[in-house]
Amino acid sequence: MIKVEHLSKQFGELTVLREVNAEIKKGEVISIIGPSGTGKSTFLRCLNLLEMPSGGRIFIDGTDILDKSADVPKLRQKMGMVFQSFNLFAHLTALENLTIGPVKLLGRSKEQAGKKAMELLKMVGLAEKAGSFPDELSGGQKQRVAIARCLAMEPEIILFDEPTSALDPTMVSEVLAVIRRLAKEGMTMAVVTHEMDFARDVSNRVFYMDEGIIYEEGPPQQIFENPQKEKTRVFINRVRSLTYHIRNQNYDLYAINGEIEHFCEKHVLPKTTRNKALLLVEELLAIFSAGQVTRQFEIDLTLSYSEKRDSLELVAESAGDYFNPFEENTLPDQLGTTIIKNLSENMEYQRVSDRNRFSMTVKKQ
Amino acid sequence: MEITVQKESHYVVVKAAGRLDTNTAPGFERECAACLTGSKGKIILDFSKLEYISSAGLRCILSMAKKLRANGGDLVLCSLSGFVEEVIRISGFDIFLPIFADVASAAHEN
Ligand SMILES: Nc1ncnc2c1ncn2[C@@H]1O[C@H](COP(=O)(O)OP(=O)(O)OP(=O)(O)O)[C@@H](O)[C@H]1O
Ligand SMILES: [Mg+2]
Repeated sequence: MIKVEHLSKQFGELTVLREVNAEIKKGEVISIIGPSGTGKSTFLRCLNLLEMPSGGRIFIDGTDILDKSADVPKLRQKMGMVFQSFNLFAHLTALENLTIGPVKLLGRSKEQAGKKAMELLKMVGLAEKAGSFPDELSGGQKQRVAIARCLAMEPEIILFDEPTSALDPTMVSEVLAVIRRLAKEGMTMAVVTHEMDFARDVSNRVFYMDEGIIYEEGPPQQIFENPQKEKTRVFINRVRSLTYHIRNQNYDLYAINGEIEHFCEKHVLPKTTRNKALLLVEELLAIFSAGQVTRQFEIDLTLSYSEKRDSLELVAESAGDYFNPFEENTLPDQLGTTIIKNLSENMEYQRVSDRNRFSMTVKKQ
Repeated sequence: MEITVQKESHYVVVKAAGRLDTNTAPGFERECAACLTGSKGKIILDFSKLEYISSAGLRCILSMAKKLRANGGDLVLCSLSGFVEEVIRISGFDIFLPIFADVASAAHEN
C-alpha cells in the first residue's frame, strides 16, 4: 500500500535521510526503531508530506504522491498520524475532537459523525469522557482520544510517532493496549517507538534506522534476538531489558543478583544504581515470599533501562490473591517497604488481570 | 560473607565483610548469638568491609541490640561505607544506634 523509493531529505547542509527504500503492505504493523536523531520522525513526516522530501518517490496504492497532479489532501486523509504530544483541540470536548474532521473534511452529517465518534470512544474505553475537555483528561486518556480521533477519519494507515513517550510509565500500557487491539483488527500501522517489548510482540516487521537509511529490517525475532548488522546489534544490546521468572519460593537470590549485575554492567550504570536495583529486588522478593497467601509462587521481574531517559525501571508482577504490602498493617514490620520507598520513585501498584503489579524507577541520587 | 570476632576486656568487635542479605543474615545471626550469651558489655559492629546490607541484615542488628540492652549492654556501629550507610540512614537505624567513625572511637566512648 505504501512504497518508498530512494527517499531523501536534507535540512540545509544536514542530510537526515540518505536513501530510504521501504514497502508497507496492507495489514502490516511496522515498528521503527533506532537511536535518537536518525530521522525516524522525519521519515514519518515525509510519508504524509508534513515535510517535503528532497528526493525520491512515495507511492500510495500505486499513486505517486510527489507527482504534481496528485491530490495531496485526499491522499493525506488516507494516513492518520498520532504524535507524542496528543495535539488535541483544547477548546473542544473529546467528542467534538472526533467529529470536527469528519464533518468538515469528509462531509458527514453531525449525527453520523457523532454516532461514529461515540463508537470509537467506547472502543478506546473513554465513552464516559465524551463531554470532557482535554485538560480534564490524563495523558493516557488524551492519547487514546487522539487515536480515536485519527480513526474517525477512516484512515487506511496510521503513523504513530512515539505515542507513549510523553506519558507517565503507568499510562503507557493503556495506550499500547489500544494500539495492540488495532493491530489485531488488521489496521495497517507504522509505529516509531522506544518500547522494545511492544515492538517485539506487536509488529510483523521492524525497521532499524541509522545512517540515513533503513539500516536493517526484518521480523522482530531477527532484529531483537539475532540482528545481522553491527550497529543494530549494539543498539539492541543497549536497550534490551532483563526479565526473570521466579516459580519457586526457594529462588536463587545470587543467581538473580548475577543477572542484574551483568545487566547493569552492560548498560554501564553506576555502582550505586546497581546496588539500589539489587536491594529493591531483594526486598520485593522477601516481601512477596513472606506475604504469599496462595500456594502458587510466581513472580516476574523486569528491569529495563531507557537510554533516552537515563532511567532504570523495575516491574515486579506476582500471580495470586490481591496483595499490596504498601497498605498499612500487611506486614510484620515496615523495614522492607521503607527501603523500597526510599530507593525508588514513581512507585505504583496495580491489580492487572489477576496479578499484582508494582512498577518503580530506581532513584538516581 | 566473612565474620571475625575479636574479644577485648570491655567490648567485642564483630567485623563483617561482604554482603549482609537474605542469604547471609542467618549465619551472621548465629555467629553473633555466640558472643551475646551472658555478655553484659558492648558489641561493636565494624562494617568497614561491608558492601551491602538489606532489611534481613537490619533485622538481625535490631534483635541483637534489643537483647544486649535488655542485659545492660549495648550495640554500636562503626566505619559505615557509602551504600551501607545510606540504607541504615533511610531505614532510620541511625536514630537508635550510635554510629562511630572507627573502632577506636567506638571503644572509647562512654
Ligand atoms: N525542521 C527541521 N529543521 C532542521 N533540522 C531538523 C528538522 N527536523 C529534524 N531535524 C534534524 O533532523 C535530524 C533527525 O531528526 P528526527 O526528529 O527525524 O530524528 P528521530 O530519529 O525522530 O529522533 P528521536 O528518536 O530523538 O525522536 C535531527 O538532527 C534533527 O535535529
Ligand atoms: Mg522522533
